[in-house]
Amino acid sequence: MGLFKIILDWLDRRIGVREIVAKELTGYLLPRNINVWYSMGSILLFIFGLQVVTGILLLIHYVPDADKAFKSVTFIMNDVPFGWLIRMCHAVGSNMMVLILLFHMLSVLFMGSYKKPRELNWLSGFILFNLIMGISLTGYLLPWSQLSFWATSVATNSAGSIPVVGPFLVEFLRGSKLVGPATLGRFFALHVAVLPLAIAGLIGAHLFFLKRTGISTPPFGLKESGNQWQGDIYRYEDHPGGIPFFPNYALQDATSIALYLAFFLAVVFFDPYLFFTRESFVAANPFQTPAHIKPEWYFLANYQTLKIFPNELIGLSLQGAAMTFLALLPFIDRGSERHPLKRPLFMAAAMGGIILWIGLSIWGHYS
Amino acid sequence: MRQLNVTIKLAWILAALFMMPQAAAAATAGPVEIVCIQCHAKLPGKYGEPVKLWQGSIHAENGIACNSCHGGDPKDAANAMSPARGFLGVPKEGAIPAFCGRCHVGVLKDYLTSLHGKALGRGGPTCVTCHGNHNVVKASLDLINEKSCSRCHSFKQAEKIKAAMHETEKMILTIETRTAGFKQQGIDTDRLEKGLFAVRNSFHSLFHTVDTVKVGAESARIQAELKKLENTLNGIDEQLRKRKLIGAGAVAAALLAALLFYLLRKTFERTEP
Repeated sequence: MGLFKIILDWLDRRIGVREIVAKELTGYLLPRNINVWYSMGSILLFIFGLQVVTGILLLIHYVPDADKAFKSVTFIMNDVPFGWLIRMCHAVGSNMMVLILLFHMLSVLFMGSYKKPRELNWLSGFILFNLIMGISLTGYLLPWSQLSFWATSVATNSAGSIPVVGPFLVEFLRGSKLVGPATLGRFFALHVAVLPLAIAGLIGAHLFFLKRTGISTPPFGLKESGNQWQGDIYRYEDHPGGIPFFPNYALQDATSIALYLAFFLAVVFFDPYLFFTRESFVAANPFQTPAHIKPEWYFLANYQTLKIFPNELIGLSLQGAAMTFLALLPFIDRGSERHPLKRPLFMAAAMGGIILWIGLSIWGHYS
Repeated sequence: MRQLNVTIKLAWILAALFMMPQAAAAATAGPVEIVCIQCHAKLPGKYGEPVKLWQGSIHAENGIACNSCHGGDPKDAANAMSPARGFLGVPKEGAIPAFCGRCHVGVLKDYLTSLHGKALGRGGPTCVTCHGNHNVVKASLDLINEKSCSRCHSFKQAEKIKAAMHETEKMILTIETRTAGFKQQGIDTDRLEKGLFAVRNSFHSLFHTVDTVKVGAESARIQAELKKLENTLNGIDEQLRKRKLIGAGAVAAALLAALLFYLLRKTFERTEP
């Protein structure tokens, strides 16, 4: 304890560390009615950190070459000490990141936290969601398994239905006419350099917007759950008399992260194959087409939408329209009320959307 | 009005941005087949039938395509069946064992020295008599059955051989199932598969000798080899069991940490305003 105080004093005299702690941690007050859903962001930060660490560890032995990629992954799984654990954590973690991100977005939607003045938080979060989908898609190809190869062939093929630029776009995505070594090269570069940097940058922007605007008050348990901001001047939403972030809510974050970790480890150790198919452990073979190639669970609804319509362009346009609508939601839903039960139109649309998404996913899984 | 324009512009930009990753995510277009399949699958009768038969075969399962046996160029439709590209066409009956024996070398040797092989060209069976041609099924003891054998001779001798090989076949099937299960868990089963392949080949060559005494003598040696493979599989099982135990500990530790953080949070809750 003595040593800790000496270091703290030393730092305090130089950079005023106690002032930072007082302002950003113990003096950073949160709404008194804050709930557990607010810790989803911290869980996501934890997952992203874990993905970066496991990704770097995988990079030590992974070889991004079409002739060697599958063998290098097999080597990691079987010969590298704890390689299987690192790989499983990375693969399961990517699925968990999408799952928790969906929960985070749903909580923001239902608590009306996307509404003004938090449009930028929503937009940066929504772009992050798309980048996470992108990093998952690019990572899917890297093991160069039958599943990787054929799922990527099918996924990149769909861009071909876009009028005029479609065929060019497919070739641009693949780096050649068919999925091959060139595709692996560009997906690898996107997966380990471009997308992680973009995600890290956007996380920074997302947190910056959060800090500047202030954390939103949950609409539950309040007499007045409407939005107070008039849009005239910049105003930081503070919470006088609220609970300190540290140690109080930081402990709630720690509880949520530990609970998530328990769930995550249970999947990693007991059933990581939830996210793998038989083709995941067979080397890619361009001349042998597996019978049933399906995308990951979070793309199943998109997959089924494309199958429903006779013309892929209609399916793509609908998806584009739905995604654009979601991205622009704060600009479309401009009412001040934030309590979900006082927003019947929103509730009906949101519940309908969720049921439709789940229904399409199940249909896609069994189709 | 200005705000509406900005919103519309944003909508276009975002539509362009978000359609791409979602579009790339899922589609229904199928993969490209080799040209042999592309043409023959559309042909009627005896020209199209081999494709359907082959699709359900062990060859298809292992990626052995048309050109693997018949030669030719599977990527060039115009010259796919050109002898200059190595196209061999359909072998005559007497040439069938040599045709298949280009890959199944050991089996060819055993077949040729057997009573079956010695009767080649004199009404004796060739490979396709028992195994089928395009719908080549996985070699197993089931191929020795009364219906099939009694087409040419009595089932009595064949039945004796089948009984002697039954135990070994059961061991092979168990090892194969366990190996496939481990493979689906990302375990490198390459050495196991190769080991099993060698033992299975040696076992299957016994089928072709049609010699009851040899079957008895060789079965013991083959079973000893299979036992070694079984020991390796048991080792993997033990390793997986240990991993699960460690996993249970890790999950319990995370749950305990969650409980401790929760209780600690409760103590601070009392001091909240």
